[in-house]
Amino acid sequence: MSNLESIKPFPDSEEMEISFGPQHPATHGVLRVLLRLDGERIVDAKPVIGYLHRGTEKIFERETYNGTIPHTDRLDYTAAATNNQALVGAVEKIMGVTVPPRAAAIRVMLAELQRIASHTIWLGTHALDIGAQSPFFYTFEEREKILDLFEEYCGARLTLNSMRVGGQPYELTDGWVDRCRAFVDQFPARVAEWERLLTANRIWKLRTIGVGVISAASAIEWGLTGPPLRGSGVKWDVRKVFPYDRYDEYDFEIPVGANGDTYDRYLVRMEEMRQSVRILQQCLAKLPDGPVMAKVPKVIKPPKGEVYFSVEGPKGELGFYVVSDGGANPYRLHVRPACFINLQALPEMVRGLLVADLIAVIGTLDIVLGEIDR
Amino acid sequence: MSFWGLLASIVPFELGQGLGVTGRFLFKKKATIQYPEVKPVPKDRFRGMFGFSEERCIACHACAKACPIDIIHIQDHFEEVEVDGKKRKKKVLDRYDIDVKRCMFCGLCEEACPTKPLAIWLTTKSYEASAYERNERLYFTKERLQSWDGVRPYPGVVPPRQGQMPDDPTGGPAAGRGEPK
Amino acid sequence: MTNPWVAFLLVPLVKIVVILLAVILLAAYMSFFERKILAYMQIRIGPNRVGPRGWLQPIADAIKLLVKEDIVPARAEKLVYFLGPVLVVAPALVVFSVIPFGPAFKLFGYEVAPYLTDVNIGILFILGVSSIGVYGVILGGWASNNKFSMMGGLRSAAQLVSYEVPMGLSVVTVLLMANSLSLVKIVEAQKQAGVWFFIPGIVAFFIYFVCGVAETNRNPFDLPEAESELVAGFHTEYSGMKFAFYFLAEYANMVVISSIATVLFLGGWLPPFPNWLAALWASPALAWIPPIAWFVLKMAVFLFVYIWFRGTFPRYRFDQLMDLGWKVFIPVSLVNLVAVGAGVLLIGGK
Repeated sequence: MSNLESIKPFPDSEEMEISFGPQHPATHGVLRVLLRLDGERIVDAKPVIGYLHRGTEKIFERETYNGTIPHTDRLDYTAAATNNQALVGAVEKIMGVTVPPRAAAIRVMLAELQRIASHTIWLGTHALDIGAQSPFFYTFEEREKILDLFEEYCGARLTLNSMRVGGQPYELTDGWVDRCRAFVDQFPARVAEWERLLTANRIWKLRTIGVGVISAASAIEWGLTGPPLRGSGVKWDVRKVFPYDRYDEYDFEIPVGANGDTYDRYLVRMEEMRQSVRILQQCLAKLPDGPVMAKVPKVIKPPKGEVYFSVEGPKGELGFYVVSDGGANPYRLHVRPACFINLQALPEMVRGLLVADLIAVIGTLDIVLGEIDR
Repeated sequence: MSFWGLLASIVPFELGQGLGVTGRFLFKKKATIQYPEVKPVPKDRFRGMFGFSEERCIACHACAKACPIDIIHIQDHFEEVEVDGKKRKKKVLDRYDIDVKRCMFCGLCEEACPTKPLAIWLTTKSYEASAYERNERLYFTKERLQSWDGVRPYPGVVPPRQGQMPDDPTGGPAAGRGEPK
Repeated sequence: MTNPWVAFLLVPLVKIVVILLAVILLAAYMSFFERKILAYMQIRIGPNRVGPRGWLQPIADAIKLLVKEDIVPARAEKLVYFLGPVLVVAPALVVFSVIPFGPAFKLFGYEVAPYLTDVNIGILFILGVSSIGVYGVILGGWASNNKFSMMGGLRSAAQLVSYEVPMGLSVVTVLLMANSLSLVKIVEAQKQAGVWFFIPGIVAFFIYFVCGVAETNRNPFDLPEAESELVAGFHTEYSGMKFAFYFLAEYANMVVISSIATVLFLGGWLPPFPNWLAALWASPALAWIPPIAWFVLKMAVFLFVYIWFRGTFPRYRFDQLMDLGWKVFIPVSLVNLVAVGAGVLLIGGK
C-alpha cells in the first residue's frame, strides 16, 4: 500500500463533498455515493440508493404465488434462477411440500449454472473497472453458452421464470444434458485462461491486495454474506449450513480467503466457479428419474403462517420471509437482499483509500441495484 | 530471495503470459453475428411474440387471471346457436386485447390455457415487434394478434392466421397436428 | 541538384507535405487499427460497416468531429484554450523532421534522402521538442476553467515529466554505443556494429518502450484519461475538432515513440543482421525490398505492441504509477547506463 497515509500535504485544507453517480460507468447500476474527500483520500462514503425502486414487495401482495416468480427474476437480474429458487423454496416450506428428486436436481443445476453466469459478469465488469478490457469479452462469451442452455430449458435467457411452487414447469429437452456436459467440461480451461491474465499479474495485485479490507468480526457484525464474508475467512455457506434441494448429497468445498481484501474475494469467486463445475458434474452424472412436479393444487393457497427461507445466491444469502393468511395472494413477502446488506459495509471498507480504490471495492462487493432497491 | 525470484520481480514474466492469452485470442473464431443480415437462432421453447387463435379460444379467462400484470383484456358475450337441433349458449369473444408494451413474456398465460392445441402461445421465435409509437402500435387487438400486423416474423415463421401452430411456428407439415408443448 | 530554389525550397516542401500527410493519415488510421485489433483480441470484429470492411471509418469519424458543435466553456481563457491542442499536436509533428526513414538513394540521377533533414544533434532536438507537448496538456487543463480538468492536467503532466527521465537515460545508453547524436549516424553505427542496438542494450530497450507507453498516456498508464475515474482528464471540456486534435496528438506521439525506438534500437531501415547476411539481402530474391519497408515494418510492430498492451493489462493507480517511475525505472536505467558504459569501454575502447 502506498505511503501517502502519513502525508497530509495541506494540513488546513477543507474536505470536498462530491456526488459519485448515479450516472457513472463504474457504479454498476444507479448507485450514488456521496464522497467526502480530503485531497484524494476518502474520508467518508455514503451510498444513496433508491433510484431503481419499483415497489416489488408491494407488487408481490397482489399476485398469486406463481405470479410472483417472474417478479423475482427482476430482483437480482444477473442471477434469476437463484431468486426463483429462494421464493419457491419459501412457499414450499410453508406448505410442507417436498419436490421430487429430479426437480431438486434440475434446480441445483440451474442454480449452479446461474452462479457461474453471475460470477462471469462480476469478473468481466470488475476487471473492466480496474482497466483490463479484454476479460469482459471472454467471460461474456462463456456466459452466452450458459444463457443458451437456459433458453433451451425454459424459453428465456435472463428473466427465466424457471421454477414453480412444487417443482419444475418443464422437463429437460432432449440433448440438454449432453450440451450442459459439453459446456461444463470445457469451462475449467476458460477459468484457467482468465486466471493467467489476472491472478499473478503484478498490476492486478497492486490494485487489489490490501484494498477494501474488512475483518472477519466486522463482516459478521455487518451481516455480510457470500464472497465478502468468505473472503474474510468465515466459512459460512447456506448450502452447507442449512442445505436445501438436496445439496447435502453433493460433494463440494467452500473456498475461504485469508485477509478480507479485494484479492481474496477475487480468489474466492474464481474458486466458487470451479466448485460449481464440480457440483454440476455430479448432478449430470447421477440425475434421478421421475416426475418434475409434486402434487400441488392448481391454485396455491399455503396455510396461515410465517416462514423464512434462504438460499446461497451468487451475491450472498438471499432470503424470503413469507407471511401467509391462507389466501391465494401473499399477505407479506419480504426479501432479504444480499447486495443491500453487503453494500452497507462500503463506508467501512473505503475509509482512507483513494478514489480509484472506491471503484475496485464497489466491483468486489458485486452489487446489483435491482436487488438493493427492489 | 533466490536469483529467479529476484529476476521475476524485475522482469514481468507473468505479464508476458497475459499477453500470450490475448495474443492467442487474436486468431480464434469471432463471435460476432452480422445482425440484421444474419439473425441468432432462438430455441424451440423461446418465449417470443404472441400467437393467438380465436377459433380455439373458449374465453375461459384463465390467461387473464394468470397474468401477473393484468395486460390481457377479454370481453365476451353469450350467443344462442343451434347444435344438433338444440339451442345452446356459446361464448363469443368481443375483445381479446394484449397490451404487449407492458408484457414481460413470462409465459404464465400460455401455461394456464386449457385448450389443446393452445389458443395463446409464445413459442413463435419472433421478437421483432418494435415500433416508433408505443401506445397504438404495441397494443394488440385480436385482429392484430392473428394477422401480426407490425410484427416481423422470424425467417421461416408465418403469422398465426396463416397456419402457425404452437409446436410449429412455420405453419409447415407438422402444423395442424396440434400436439401441445 | 544545383539549382538552389529546387534544392532548398522545392524539395523540402515536397518532403514536408509527404511526411505530414503520411503521419496524419497514419495517426488517423491508428484509431481504426486499434479498434480492429482490440476487437480481434476480444472475440469480435471491429468496425466493418463504413466502407469496404470498415476502412472508411476514420474518415467518417473525422467528418463527424468536424461538423460537431464547437463548445467553448463560457469562462474559459480563450487564447490558451485554443492553444492547448495546438501545443500538443505541433511538437508531435515537428519531431518527424529529423527521423530518417531510409538511406539516401538515387532517383533519376539525383541523390534523394527520405528524411527532411539530418541535424547532428538529432536526438537532443527530439527530446527537447517532444517535451513541449507537456505544455499543451497543462494549459489545456487550466484553460478549461474546471477544477477536475485542472487536476487531470496536472496529473498527466506529472506523469509525463517523471517518465522523461528514464527515457532520456535509456537514450543515453544508445548514444554511448553509437557515439553520435545524429539519427542517421546512429543507424549507420548499427550497420557498422552488425547488430541492432537492442541486443546489447536490451534493458534500455524495454525501459524506453515502457516509458514511451507512459509518455503517451496509454494503458497501463492511462489513469488520467480513464472513464472510470472521478477526475475526467484534461480534455473533458474540449469538443469537436479540438478534441480530435488531442486524440490525433496521442496517436501521433505513439508513432513518434515507435519511430524513435525503431531508429535507436531496431536498426532503422536495416534488415536483420545487415553484415552477416549481407549476401542474403543483396540476392535478387530479396534485393527489391526498399529499406523504408523495413522501417515501416518495425514501426508497425511497436504500434501493435501498444495496442496489445491496451487489450491486456489493468491500469496502475496514479501513486503506483509515480512509484514505478521514480523508484524502479530510474534506478534500473542508471545502473544500466553504468553497465553499458563499462561495456563500451571494455569492448570498444573508444
